[in-house]
Amino acid sequence: MGYSVHGPKARTGGQGQGLLPKESLYLIEICKGLFITMRHLVRNVFHMGDMPTLQYPDEKPDYGPWLRGRHRLMKREDGSPRCVACQMCSTICPADCISIMAMDDDRPDVEKSPETFDIDLLRCVYCGLCVEACPCDAIRMDTGIFEIAADNRAAFQVDMDFLLNNTTDGVKS
Amino acid sequence: MAKMTIDGKEHEFEDGMNLFEACAVARGENLPHFCYHPGLSIAGVCRMCQVEVEGMPKLMIACNSQVKDGMVVHTRNERVDGAVRQILNFHLLHHPVDCPVCDQAGECSLQDFYMANGLYEADVDIEDKIAKGKVKPIGEMVMLDAERCVLCARCTRFTTEITQTHEMGIFNRGDHSEIDVAPGKTLDNNYSLNTVDICPVGALTSRDFRFRRRVWWLSETDGICHGCATGCNMSIHHSEGIVYRTKPRDNMDVNRYWMCDHGRTLYHEIAESDRLTQPSVRKARGELAQTASWDHAYRSIEAAGKALGGDDAALMIILSPHATVEELYAAKSVLSDSVGGALLGYRLRGSEIGEGDELLFDADRTPNAAGAKKLGLAEYDAKQLEAAANEKTMLLVVGGDLALAAPDAGAALSKFGCVVYLGWQENSTSMLADIVLPTSHYAEREGTFVNREGRAQTFAAAIDAPGEARDPLRVIRELGALFGHEPTWDGIEAVRSELCAREGAFAAMAQGVGPLGLALDAAAESEVERA
Amino acid sequence: MPDITELLWALGKIGFMLAVILGTLPVMIWAERKGAAYIQDRSGPNRASIGGVFRLGGLIHPLADVFKLVFKEEIVPAGVNVFFYHLAPIIMMTVALSTFAVIPFGDVLLLGTREIPLLVANLNVGILYILAISSLTVYGTVLAGWSSNNKFAFLGGLRASAQMISYEINMGLAVLALILVYGSVRLNDMVVAQGDLLWGFIPAWGVVLQPVGFVLFLVALFAETNRNPFDLPEGESELVAGYHLEYSSLKFALFFMAEYCNMIVGAAVVSTLYFGGWQVPWLTTEGLRENAGTLLTVSLSVGTLLNLLFATGLWRKFQGERGTLGDRRELESGILAVVFLGLALATGGYLLVGKPWDIGPAASAHFATVMQIGQFITKTLLFSWVFIWVRWTLPRFRYDQLMRLGWQYMLPLALLNFVVTAAFVLFTHG
Repeated sequence: MGYSVHGPKARTGGQGQGLLPKESLYLIEICKGLFITMRHLVRNVFHMGDMPTLQYPDEKPDYGPWLRGRHRLMKREDGSPRCVACQMCSTICPADCISIMAMDDDRPDVEKSPETFDIDLLRCVYCGLCVEACPCDAIRMDTGIFEIAADNRAAFQVDMDFLLNNTTDGVKS
Repeated sequence: MAKMTIDGKEHEFEDGMNLFEACAVARGENLPHFCYHPGLSIAGVCRMCQVEVEGMPKLMIACNSQVKDGMVVHTRNERVDGAVRQILNFHLLHHPVDCPVCDQAGECSLQDFYMANGLYEADVDIEDKIAKGKVKPIGEMVMLDAERCVLCARCTRFTTEITQTHEMGIFNRGDHSEIDVAPGKTLDNNYSLNTVDICPVGALTSRDFRFRRRVWWLSETDGICHGCATGCNMSIHHSEGIVYRTKPRDNMDVNRYWMCDHGRTLYHEIAESDRLTQPSVRKARGELAQTASWDHAYRSIEAAGKALGGDDAALMIILSPHATVEELYAAKSVLSDSVGGALLGYRLRGSEIGEGDELLFDADRTPNAAGAKKLGLAEYDAKQLEAAANEKTMLLVVGGDLALAAPDAGAALSKFGCVVYLGWQENSTSMLADIVLPTSHYAEREGTFVNREGRAQTFAAAIDAPGEARDPLRVIRELGALFGHEPTWDGIEAVRSELCAREGAFAAMAQGVGPLGLALDAAAESEVERA
Repeated sequence: MPDITELLWALGKIGFMLAVILGTLPVMIWAERKGAAYIQDRSGPNRASIGGVFRLGGLIHPLADVFKLVFKEEIVPAGVNVFFYHLAPIIMMTVALSTFAVIPFGDVLLLGTREIPLLVANLNVGILYILAISSLTVYGTVLAGWSSNNKFAFLGGLRASAQMISYEINMGLAVLALILVYGSVRLNDMVVAQGDLLWGFIPAWGVVLQPVGFVLFLVALFAETNRNPFDLPEGESELVAGYHLEYSSLKFALFFMAEYCNMIVGAAVVSTLYFGGWQVPWLTTEGLRENAGTLLTVSLSVGTLLNLLFATGLWRKFQGERGTLGDRRELESGILAVVFLGLALATGGYLLVGKPWDIGPAASAHFATVMQIGQFITKTLLFSWVFIWVRWTLPRFRYDQLMRLGWQYMLPLALLNFVVTAAFVLFTHG
């Protein structure tokens, strides 16, 4: 039952090409198709709970811990950012969405720390390479937040304060 | 000549040539090394450049050996690689591996050699490493981190041999050896940042550049330092339109491997708040200047010319040794020769001369005085300026700062009918000028300087000019058009070829200047000889 | 000169027809979306609600759609032919609605001595009127496509005209065979004729007498209404939206509604021609009137039972949903359960108190009419569902396949069917 788009028969239409006689009558096949769809319909009407659809805002999907959600910055024990502004994340970032300004830190055990740490969530592609690249485990994407929406662009430009306290709720207001 | 074999291939070198250099030529790349530096004496302390010489029972360090006829050298075999790996392990034994916070990361020899020759597991736990001084400012410009040091002694040799200021040394013994400044001293000579350049690791880092940008984001553009008449070759490191640092570019005829701190830190002026970014026009003397469009500024010049008496009005031009050869030529040929402006000269006699030193820093703080002289421009003195000043004359100042050069000049300026200033920085002359036309900085335009030895050196534009600042060449062209003599050239290449054709002193430049510059006098002589 | 009551009755019937069609429209849209969803294992529309309580399984969505379409910005693109651009949707809707005029939705209604035929216009050309009017639809699509000044719309219009003209022939031939069988072009005559029984037990419906004709007619009808698998004029993967691409807001709504109107009209015509129209199988009008008491009792009992069933089911749902949604939507099932319980009580109460098995002759006649109208509406809705069902089952034809099917397969078949029918009629009745 070869079907060749280059063959002369195929070029003239392919009506009934490679079909059995009873299949090329169509009507029986159409009825079979109709019964298939009707079977689905009836099954779904009587077993609504089995439908794979999730009633999304009411029911939340469970993506598990491997979901790459919105980023957060980890803190040291004293509450300051763990980040040392090495900029590995912004270097690896394929979307170029992380921008960091580093500064001298006066604390004896901390030489360098971020002055600003901004992520443009609109540019981010959530690839997680920043998390992989971080030598200090300072940035993670384990917040589980994937509902990132706002009605203005500025809300997506998140800064260090936001990222340090970014664990639960939706958008920066 | 010494015929010898390196890695199985026959080579021929001058007798007595350093084996390290010979290997570099033969291999196409340097041997692994920390301490060897062509500008410094041989220390032989890092042991990284070991090679196998047939007939010798032990491995030799290449940097402290000379080529010899019949020598058979192996730089890449199991024995050499094993030795290099062990030496590297030794160097890294107490290294803190704090690359994330280290500015050297990305241009660090330790990182490079580890990736090329190391790749072993560390032998010492981070807790057991010997702690040394970190984040220690040892001078105005230099930060010391003794833990990262590999004790190559480049910095100590530099302060001993090149600057001869002897600030730095290696203290303590064995594992506890560390570099530091001598007690009571700070590393504050004018060449201190060279120690940062030659430091192969992150032990010495620049406080000026510290944490401002990771080095892998920097692009390099060839530049010429405009801090003095020496014209040190440098590369401008910039990223996204911002210049982050400048580093010396090797040129054995000019600055060798070095550059002074004064020249290195000049780049700050590019982003200073006193940059001129928009034309400004003052309606009347005593009023504040107001920003204007280029169009408005040009129309104001036209109007000022008419107000001064139309055809009777005179034009006087003062050039500056801060302008490039092309700009000086363009100003001279268009504004003076064609338009008919009187050319007063290129600098007030004796101005902008400071104190120089033996090494690089020249007393003449201008980059292109020699170029101006070669164009036949002359110096002038305050009396000439005073005499030229009259209310019917429009004065065009191309670059530089007259009032700073001579306090009297300010008074003389205000006697001109109209003063037009062309420059990139706000200064006392621009404050006095009636119309200010902003131009690009040296890092933002192309050009040629002639240094004190008569060497023409070109530089390229690294970044874009801020605001509405324009290339001075374009402004000169537009001014020529404004005065009714639009030049035939357009663009710096055309100016350059016209310059080479018309000015005999620059004829040799016609074949191009090259990355290391062209000694104009020597070239002219050889030209004559050939003829 | 028709007297004024005649006129009022005619207006009343028109109003009834319009109410039925326009009232069925949102239900059709709902059925389309919900049916598609269930066929595709989705849950479909269920968000829009009234007062945050009543969602009625998505029935509120068509209402929301209406509001949306009414309040959307009305865009008339530059470069359109303004007159025809505005005329096209009017043609579409008018044609769709006026076809209904000749379709009978019940036998005569007895009011005292007055006999009122239950169709708007009892034309003696009945079926020809339908063919004539419905072929005007092509003007709507062609004008819309052409006047929009858009290549896609224009292509859609072209496809629509070619397709409609091609399939009209098959449709006409199928109907012609039917006319031969019934010997009349009056629709009501056809329906009455379908009240007979074949060999005493099979209803003499068109589908039984003309099975091939039925298939041909149904396929042609799909093509005429531009429904899948013949929706090439608006094939969104090829033509964006086809002939109504440049329409927005209410004008788009008119096209949208016209499509569903055409569907309902088509369903009504199919059920009238081939499935006995308002005829209740095995029960003539007289039979209905005589057995009205029994039938009413039975239907009331069944109704009561069904209402009770719904009420308990909804109540269970109400119990199960409690606390899962966290807002007033949880109340819906409970309230609906109470409503159905009330309905059950009403029907049950009437069953016990009203003695439905013993109703008078006038009421019997009315009951028969109601049964027939109900029968007609049920059949129409069923066939409308077939339209939807087919749409979500079959893929779209390619254009050359469409043309080949129409001209090379269906036309010969229709001619053959016509000749065979003619011969049969000639030999049996001749």
